[in-house]
Amino acid sequence: MNTNGHVVQATNLSKTYSTGGREVEALRGIDLTIAPGEFTVLLGPSGAGKTTALNVVGGLDRPTGGELTVAGEVIAGNGHRAREGQLDALRRKHIGFVFAQFHLLPTLTAVENVLVPMIWEDASDRGRAEGLLRRVGLDHRLTHRPDELSGGEMQRVALARALVNRPALLLADEPTANLDTHTRDEIFELLRELSDEGLAILFATHDHELAERGDTVLRLSDGVIADD
Amino acid sequence: MNWTLIAFKNILRRPIRSILTLAGIAIAVAMLFNLLEFQRGYERGLRGELADLGAHIMIVPRGCPYEAATIVLHGGKWPRYMEQEWYDVVRGTEGIEATTAIIMDAIIRDGGRENLIYMGIDDDYPTLRQSWEYAAGDWFGGEDTVILGSSVARSMDAGVGDTITIVDEPRVMPTQVTVSGILQRTNSQDDGLIFLPQRALQRIFGLEDKLVVILVKVEDVTKTEEIATSLRQASAESDAGMNIFPLSELLNTLTSLLSSTRVFVLAIVAVAFVIGGVGVLTTILMAVYERTREIGMMKAMGAGRADIFRLIWLETLITSAGGGLLGIGLALLSGRAVVALLRVVLPHTPAEFALGMTGSTFAICIGVSVLLGMVAGTWPAWRAARISPIAAIRGGS
Ligand SMILES: Nc1ncnc2c1ncn2[C@@H]1O[C@H](COP(=O)(O)OP(=O)(O)O)[C@@H](O)[C@H]1O
Ligand SMILES: [Mg+2]
Repeated sequence: MNTNGHVVQATNLSKTYSTGGREVEALRGIDLTIAPGEFTVLLGPSGAGKTTALNVVGGLDRPTGGELTVAGEVIAGNGHRAREGQLDALRRKHIGFVFAQFHLLPTLTAVENVLVPMIWEDASDRGRAEGLLRRVGLDHRLTHRPDELSGGEMQRVALARALVNRPALLLADEPTANLDTHTRDEIFELLRELSDEGLAILFATHDHELAERGDTVLRLSDGVIADD
Repeated sequence: MNWTLIAFKNILRRPIRSILTLAGIAIAVAMLFNLLEFQRGYERGLRGELADLGAHIMIVPRGCPYEAATIVLHGGKWPRYMEQEWYDVVRGTEGIEATTAIIMDAIIRDGGRENLIYMGIDDDYPTLRQSWEYAAGDWFGGEDTVILGSSVARSMDAGVGDTITIVDEPRVMPTQVTVSGILQRTNSQDDGLIFLPQRALQRIFGLEDKLVVILVKVEDVTKTEEIATSLRQASAESDAGMNIFPLSELLNTLTSLLSSTRVFVLAIVAVAFVIGGVGVLTTILMAVYERTREIGMMKAMGAGRADIFRLIWLETLITSAGGGLLGIGLALLSGRAVVALLRVVLPHTPAEFALGMTGSTFAICIGVSVLLGMVAGTWPAWRAARISPIAAIRGGS
C-alpha cells in the first residue's frame, strides 16, 4: 500500500450525472482520507451528495474526476478506469454495505442471509455467520426469516452480512433512517464498537445529533465538503 | 449455503406459478416420452406377432394391403375371396416347407355389439401357429365340431362337449356344432376366434371353394423374395389377381406408416416444447424483474455478472429438469391410456404391446428438457446479470 495505511484516500473526487441532456454535479471535488478504525461521519441534507460519495468510494459507481484508492486498490486516477471485475472484487473482499433499507433476501433465514456473500467466495462458514449474529445481539433469531424480524433486527442481520467477508471498510448509508431513536442508538453503538476494533467506517447521515459522536465529521452540501 | 439452495428457495417462492411452468414442460416431455417408447413397443410387438404367425409370405386377394394386414392379424370380415384351386398352385411351388389356407367370415349382431369371427382352417394351421395349445379338448372330431379361442369360450361360457348354434338368417341357417377343443390364452387374435373345419365353414356360410388368406412358410428364409416372385408370376399367368407379400415387407409397410404418423406427432411435440420453453422464459424473466433489488444487492455485495447469470440459469435448469422428471412420471402413469387411444387411431396395433421405459428414452427426455432450460434461461439470466446495483439499491423500499 502506498496510501500511508489509509483505507480510503480520495483527492478532488467528482461525479457528474448527465441525464436527458441535463448535468447534475453531485460531487464537486471532495478530498477524503479514512484510516483503519476511524469512524467518519458524512453529514449533509438530502440531495447533498452523500449517497453518491458512498457509491463512488464503494466501487458501485465510477467517479468522473479525481483520484481514488481503496484498500490499496487504485480505482481512479492518472487516467485509470477500473474494470467491472476489479470493482466486483473490491466490494467482495474489502467493503461491506448497510443501507437505510435492509435489502435482505426474503426467502432466507438470518444465518443464510449472512452467508450469502460467502457463496461467491466459495466459502460457507456457518459458525462464523452465527458468531457474527451473536456479536450483533441476534443469537435468538438465527433461523428467523426477514418477515419475522423487526426493523432493528433486520439491520443487525444486514450488518452481520456486511462483515462476514472481513471487510476493511464499512459504508453505511443512513442505516438508522428507518429506525426509532432507541434502536438507532443501539445500532450506532454497535458500529462504534466495531470501529474501535479496527474497522474503518464511512457513515452518511442528515442527523446532526448522531454526527457529533463520530471521530471525524465531514459536512457535505451541494457536492462540496465545507471546512470546519 | 450455496447457489442451489438459493435457486430452490426462489423457485418455491411462487409455488403456483412454478408448478404451472413445470406442467408446461412436463406435458411436452410426456408426449415425447410416449412417442419414443411407443415406437419401440410397437415394433417389438409387431415383430413378435409376425413371428408367432409362423409364416413368411402372405397371399391375399387383391385389395388394400393395410386392410389385408389388419384382417389377417386381427380377424375380421373379408371383402374379397380367392378360389380354392389357387391353393394347389401355391402348394406346388418349389421351396415351400408348409402352407395353410384360411377362410373367414363374421357374424355381427345386436348392431355390432356382438361380433363373432369364424375361421375355417385345415390340418396345417396348428403347425404354423407356434402358440397353438389346448386348454381343454382337442382337434376337430368331425365337420360339425368347433374349437374356441380362450376369450370366446369365456364370453360364451362354453366347455368341451357343449353345443352352440351358428346363425345369421337369412344368410346362415341355424347350424348346431359341438365344441371339440378350447385354446390356451395367447394374447393374440386367436383368443377371439371360433375355428371350424374349412369345408364346414365354406358350406355353412355359402362360400364353397372360397379362401381369403394363404400363409406360406418357406424352407430357406433367404429365398423368401425369390419364392414371392415366382408366386407373383404364377398369379399373373393364371390371372388370379393375388396380392403376394413377404411379411418382412408388411412389417416395413406398417412401420413406415407409423413413422409418417410419428413425424406429425413429433411436430406437435415440438410445438409443445416451444410453448413450454416460452413459459419457462416468461416465468424466469418475471422473477428476475420482481427480484431486481435483491439481485442488485447481491451485486453490491460483490457478486459478478457471471455469478448472477449462473444463479438464474440454475433456476431455469432446475425448473425445466423438474418438468422433465414430472413429464416422465406423467408418461408412465398415462402409458395405458395412450396405448388404448392409439389402438383406436392406428390401423393395426399388436396385441401384446405396452409402453415401457428404456434408458435412452429417459436420457433423451431429460436431455431435451435440460437443453430447453439452458436455451430459455439465457435471456433472463443475461438480463439479470446486467442489473445495475446502484439503480436497484437507490429505488425506494
Ligand atoms: N443517477 C442519477 N442521475 C442524475 N442525478 C442523480 C443521480 N443520482 C443522484 N443524483 C442527484 O445527485 C444529487 C446528490 O444525490 P445523492 O447522492 O443521492 O444525495 P444524498 O444521498 O445526500 O441525499 C442529487 O441532486 C440527486 O438528484
Ligand atoms: Mg442518500
